[in-house]
Amino acid sequence: MEAYREVIERIEALAHDRGLSFDPVYFRVTDSDQIAEVASMGLPNRFVHWYWGGAYKELVTQQAKEVFSILELVLNTSPSHAFLRSTNTYLQNVLVIAHVFGHVDFFKNNHWYRKSDKNMLNHAELHARTIRKYQDQYGPEKIEALLDALLTVAGTVNAFERSSGERRKRLIYHLEEKAPLEEWERHLLQIVREEAEYFDLIQRTHVINEGWATFVEAELLRDILDTKSWASLSVQLSNRPAPYTIGYTLFKWIKGERGFDATLGVRTYYEDIRLIDEILTDEMVRRLDIFVYDPKEKKKSYDLQQVKEMLISQKLHKGEPHIEVEPGAHHRDLILIHRDEERKLDAKRVGLFLKAVHSLWRNPVRLRANGKTYSYDRRGLSTS
Amino acid sequence: MSIDKSGQLRVHRGRIAQQKHDQLLREYLKQHLNELIQQKELIIDGKVKTQIATLDLPTLKYGEDSPVLARGGGQGQGSGGGGQGDDEIQVLGGLLGGDHHGKELRVELDFDEFVRLAQEVLIEEIKLPVINEPSRSGEIETDEMPELDDLDRIGLRPDLNLEETMVQSLLRSVRERGVADYDVEMAHDAWYFIEDPTDHQNHRSIEIYVLDISGSMRGEYLSLVRKTIFVLWYYLERRYPTNLRRYVVFQDVAEEKARDEFFCVESSGGTHISAGFEKSMELLHGATEYDKFLFMFTDGETSSGDFDLAKKRYEEALGKFDLVCYGHVNPGGRGVGGFSEHVQETSRRHTNATFANLVDVESIRQAVADFLAFFKSERVGGKRWKRTARSSSASRR
Repeated sequence: MEAYREVIERIEALAHDRGLSFDPVYFRVTDSDQIAEVASMGLPNRFVHWYWGGAYKELVTQQAKEVFSILELVLNTSPSHAFLRSTNTYLQNVLVIAHVFGHVDFFKNNHWYRKSDKNMLNHAELHARTIRKYQDQYGPEKIEALLDALLTVAGTVNAFERSSGERRKRLIYHLEEKAPLEEWERHLLQIVREEAEYFDLIQRTHVINEGWATFVEAELLRDILDTKSWASLSVQLSNRPAPYTIGYTLFKWIKGERGFDATLGVRTYYEDIRLIDEILTDEMVRRLDIFVYDPKEKKKSYDLQQVKEMLISQKLHKGEPHIEVEPGAHHRDLILIHRDEERKLDAKRVGLFLKAVHSLWRNPVRLRANGKTYSYDRRGLSTS
Repeated sequence: MSIDKSGQLRVHRGRIAQQKHDQLLREYLKQHLNELIQQKELIIDGKVKTQIATLDLPTLKYGEDSPVLARGGGQGQGSGGGGQGDDEIQVLGGLLGGDHHGKELRVELDFDEFVRLAQEVLIEEIKLPVINEPSRSGEIETDEMPELDDLDRIGLRPDLNLEETMVQSLLRSVRERGVADYDVEMAHDAWYFIEDPTDHQNHRSIEIYVLDISGSMRGEYLSLVRKTIFVLWYYLERRYPTNLRRYVVFQDVAEEKARDEFFCVESSGGTHISAGFEKSMELLHGATEYDKFLFMFTDGETSSGDFDLAKKRYEEALGKFDLVCYGHVNPGGRGVGGFSEHVQETSRRHTNATFANLVDVESIRQAVADFLAFFKSERVGGKRWKRTARSSSASRR
């Protein structure tokens, strides 16, 4: 870590000069294994669930085969914790350090992060302990089955949604309010929901956050790196995964058109949807080679409107089908509606999903999708 | 700005979570073992493709034909609106959501991992004895004490031959100092009791697997053969530190195959069992391994002109291999006829022959029990060939 002290201080000073601000950052050098562990679980001390285990295994395998590796990780906490990979080259870690300062500035300044739980490390620890306590009390199988069902519906959170009416249309909030759960079961639901909201915020700002961090990285390092290293960085920047390059392209455009100060404003007030909706142009879509692909027709469409709509719909519902709770249903029945009828749901998953929901609702559950009504009750799945 | 130098906060929850995941995965795969094991192409690029999505939470997803947001694989200039083609594209699903969780991944198991899993299921299902580790370390767990009837300069301290060591010490003392004194120096004088190397329990096996791939060999047939082989491996790997394996497939002609090819067979053609025996004996050329095994799997329906030659080659194989295991693969449970009937009769007269009528998983148990009798006789008798000729009781169905 000593090797990086000087460069960290230098980059931090440059960041301040550019008007960036952040909570203290704890850097630590760690191995790929631990980075894979934190990346797969989301937090280093989160409760243990088999689902993260699959992701962890996959990451470790990919890293071992050098197919893919995570170079850095930073947590949205106060203070922030950033992990540098020990197997990175010195230059790679310098890039990571600059990138991290972009992220922590975003965490501190972005409007949507003001209400985020900066104490999540402690809360996650508390959650993990609570779950262990319940496991002792009610048996690990029961807790695992409940967690499976809760994590299945956890994706329906929306960290942005403030209106209680709108929130009730979302399955997990509806269950929290109305499902006939025991007190401890509802407590578990709240734990899962709180953590899901923490990650939901990160997902809904993924493009702008990664774009900003990449932009900051390039801005800060332009003055530090020699020509050769800068050239190597430029190549890397264009080869990064989609959220990085899309976001980076948008910020570069803003700086070019409106100046650097405008980029600071965007990082403060925008989230992914607004950024994409306002800034993405036809020319960028073509240059970034993003399109809507129809696998049936094997056709690509670069139409700006179509691409934007698809991007925004992905951001709104995180790429998952848009399911809403129908209002006014009989209090014992739960009716869910798939709002995007044009798109078909994978029928094989419907039964399993409804079974999970039924295990929480404990009364008949219906889902209108694929031009049918799927029902799940004590007898199992039926279709009409 | 604070730098954490402690390097603490080391947690292993990822590994614990992985163990949980793998445990569930194993349960899942166990339930689907039968479907998996019957895949015509069991190994692709050293992996067993399971066609099962990574264990996932049952969240809702779109059907596969829905339009998706994607990006060109080359990430270069777009080819313009309405472009056509299925060239390399990268679907931007979870990537845009920042979801690191591998929801869309399919489980691919290393073949070895798959075999271990299959063995676990089969050993339990067939109720065969479990041999505890250590397995391939060169040791096997046995209740029998090895017979230490040979001497060597290298050995274990408890096996020191004190008498011989003192004699050596005396001789050295006389030689070096001219006095008959017992001045033992372990490095120079020690001799140890050891097992006779030619009777040593731990050595290398050569195993030749011969598979009939003529027309009818598929589905349940392949399933029985593969299950039998995996169970045999379980014991062979615990018996020998090194297993030298070679694979032969035959129909009208026989050819040697690599392991992965052996488990991806395309069935066709007629049946010349003699060709299978010939090829396997050919592969023995120059082999000095202590135990030589032939495992033949066929439905016994050799071509009419081949019957006598096949008989002859079978007799020859019995002379060359330490053990010839013949599996009559018979998932339909019909009577044993044709060449297999001949082998069934002959095997009763030979000490190094077993016959198994593989009709179902239960018959694998019988086949393996016969096979294990070979090891048992080795241990008990000290002489490897002093065993009673047996054929599988399953063969008498």
